[in-house]
Amino acid sequence: MSGVLTMGSLDPAFAGAGSADGGPVVLDLRAVEFVEPAGLCGLAALLEYLIPRCEEVGIALAGRDVPAYLERMNFFRLFGDRVRTNADVASLEERRRHNPGTLQELINLHTEEEIPGIIERISEILENQGYRLRERVAICSVLSEICANAAEHGRSSFGAYAAVQAYHHIVSGPRRRGEEVLIAIADGGPGVRETLARNPALAEHTTTDNDALRHALEMGVSGTGEIGRGGGLALVAGIAARSGGSLSLRSGTGRVTVYENRKNSRNVPEFPGTFVRVSLPRIPQERTSS
Amino acid sequence: MPEERAHRAFEVAGGDFGGKLMVTRSTGRAVREALEETLADLPKGGTLYVDTRGVELMDYSFADEALGILASRAASGEYGDRHLVLVEEDRDLLENVEASLRQRSLAMIRVDDIGGEPGIVGEVPEHLVATLQAIYDAGSITNAALAAKLGLNHTACNNRATRLAKLGLIHRRIETAAPGGRQYTYERVV
Repeated sequence: MSGVLTMGSLDPAFAGAGSADGGPVVLDLRAVEFVEPAGLCGLAALLEYLIPRCEEVGIALAGRDVPAYLERMNFFRLFGDRVRTNADVASLEERRRHNPGTLQELINLHTEEEIPGIIERISEILENQGYRLRERVAICSVLSEICANAAEHGRSSFGAYAAVQAYHHIVSGPRRRGEEVLIAIADGGPGVRETLARNPALAEHTTTDNDALRHALEMGVSGTGEIGRGGGLALVAGIAARSGGSLSLRSGTGRVTVYENRKNSRNVPEFPGTFVRVSLPRIPQERTSS
Repeated sequence: MPEERAHRAFEVAGGDFGGKLMVTRSTGRAVREALEETLADLPKGGTLYVDTRGVELMDYSFADEALGILASRAASGEYGDRHLVLVEEDRDLLENVEASLRQRSLAMIRVDDIGGEPGIVGEVPEHLVATLQAIYDAGSITNAALAAKLGLNHTACNNRATRLAKLGLIHRRIETAAPGGRQYTYERVV
């Protein structure tokens, strides 16, 4: 486990989760120094997968910062009574303080009806933090579309987990000046390939998870084939790419990341559901000499 | 000059739907149902101005459910001879409306203000653009005059204008001419 808890850093845990045999499991997160929303949502999905399959699930944490951050992000409120931990959660609760960078703590959503409330809250926080209308619109449309996808296609026992965080520096990719908003959501539904495979017209594009993911990012591709459907994800990927950020879509053993001028696919350990991570940087405009 | 017709305006941000933030298909469905009720109350030939100017955010799902499906039903004749006009300025918010209408190969008339110059949002088939422009330039024009202006025969001209009328982008009026004859007149919606 590296110092940053991301979706990718959980790969070995996901690879091992398939062989959980009912005995107790401990996730060793002691090397983690920094948790990004994608890691938090990935961890929540992993725990939801492991808890019904294992006698007991534990997470081992080190230091104070990571447990304090998890507490601020509502992690222990959602998992405290289902997961054993070495962290002193009671003392964290007492010291709980507001984190101005947090736009949305880890939230467990089940239906589309919950989305407008989430969007309203985030839009308000963004406005208070000085985000311009255009930026707020981009961030909120991204979040509402991916939440709606999860609520609609992700019918799962636990629904979906979403988290949003604003950083005063760039956390993804190469070092550069600027700020960044990270949005992540994970659901435990049937996954992209199975959803698209319901549409017989897409048979050719659903032979592998990566094929299905690449196709899901095209305009107008949906499991129902209804006209007008399947536009959200393509537009969201466009918003992220135009801002200089990226969108990663992961489901089954596939992962596709869309950047402004390229799209990467790779095979990854099985993810039981669908996961989306969006990075929206705010890069300061370089001053041009006149 | 085009005939005076009944019109009504519907402020999308004014209802109890979501105020300035319009997201999700279920919110879109609620707005569409309210718009459909208002349309049903309009006399035949009337125009409904869908005013989205107070809305800050409209995601694709909302835009498709509220406006894409509404335009699609209008084009299939579900609302009879009643027209939709979007009241919205040229801003980012239009992107999702545009994407939904293009997905559906549909278009809507758009104005910045009620009474403002009409424009198009969405997709008008390439071969109909000149016909639409000629009708809007004229305000009101007979099939014979339009055919002459575009250098088309009467049947081809009528086919094009009928298609535009079906898309809800123009009015089409039938007038009886000389004994047993009929004449079509096309008019701009706004």
